[in-house]
Amino acid sequence: MEQAAIAPPAGGAHASTPVHAGHGEHETSTGVTNTKLAMWIFLSSECLLFGALIATYLLYRGRSKGIEPADVYNIPFTSATSFILLMSSLTMVLALAAIQRADYRRTKIWLVATALFGMVFIGGQVYEFTEFTRKGVTVDTNLFGSSFYLLTGLHGLHVTVGIVWLLSLWGLTTQGRLQQKDSETIEISGLYWHFVDVVWIVIFTVVYLIPM
Amino acid sequence: MSDADTTTTTEPVQDPDHNMLVGTAEEREREKKYGLQEIPPEEVPLLPGELSHHPSPFQYVVIAMILVVITALEVGVSYLEGDIPNGLIIVLLLGMGLVKLVLVASYYMHLKTDKPVFRRFFIMAAVGAIFLYLIVLTTLGVWDGGS
Repeated sequence: MEQAAIAPPAGGAHASTPVHAGHGEHETSTGVTNTKLAMWIFLSSECLLFGALIATYLLYRGRSKGIEPADVYNIPFTSATSFILLMSSLTMVLALAAIQRADYRRTKIWLVATALFGMVFIGGQVYEFTEFTRKGVTVDTNLFGSSFYLLTGLHGLHVTVGIVWLLSLWGLTTQGRLQQKDSETIEISGLYWHFVDVVWIVIFTVVYLIPM
Repeated sequence: MSDADTTTTTEPVQDPDHNMLVGTAEEREREKKYGLQEIPPEEVPLLPGELSHHPSPFQYVVIAMILVVITALEVGVSYLEGDIPNGLIIVLLLGMGLVKLVLVASYYMHLKTDKPVFRRFFIMAAVGAIFLYLIVLTTLGVWDGGS
């Protein structure tokens, strides 16, 4: 009934017309909305933040005494959690595609699915950290431990923020407060979520897979 | 369903509850038959800052499958340590990681269909970060084993 009640945009004249940016948005000199531009600038600054942490990890890698990465990494397990995070990016864009089509039922499903995938990823990270600790790698064991926990822990914090954001969007959609005209809200949260995925793509390759 | 839902008029109908257009009778019939996800991308309104339409849900799934295959290849290559030179493994892994990154940024983050200003910001930051930290790591002698 939801689908029938709030139907998608008609074709023709509506098809190529940008939808209104949402409440409180105005025409800007850049031709793009301030919120989207702000998100991209934020993500650009995050490139430098995560770049610094990855560089720090590379700097200290192989220079630590005691336990080394190869002693503790569980590549099959981390590959599985990486797969889950990739799938969460798929469900995130499907949520955007759904709200752009005014399909609120699927929007809610994909938002919850994305949040659940994120929770599974975080659960995997907690398990991994627990296993590392049992094997004797803690944040103050050596340089490897410090740089590894700081990098992956900060990434996990970003995922956690994303989960809270997604669940709040799900709540708004459930209450009918997020409509087709507010698609950009989902897109901006999606930009954040995909960036977190992009960062994990780099971490998974550089930190876990590249040999010493 | 009310009578208004089954009318054959081609004029868009106003939805009294949401004050939005609910489409023509033909569009409603198609939605009923195929579901809203089947609406082609070119019929979806552009978001602010977009130059062309997003991929369809099916295309999103295809991209996800490509990402999964590349990830599987990455993991496979990482297990070749000792069988092929480490330098080759590193080049292959970085190459595949870059392809995944570009796919996500282009299609899921829509840099391919958005205005170039977003792409410029992101590329400038990513390339800038890579150069900056390569200089730092080189200065600190990471590649030659110095301290």
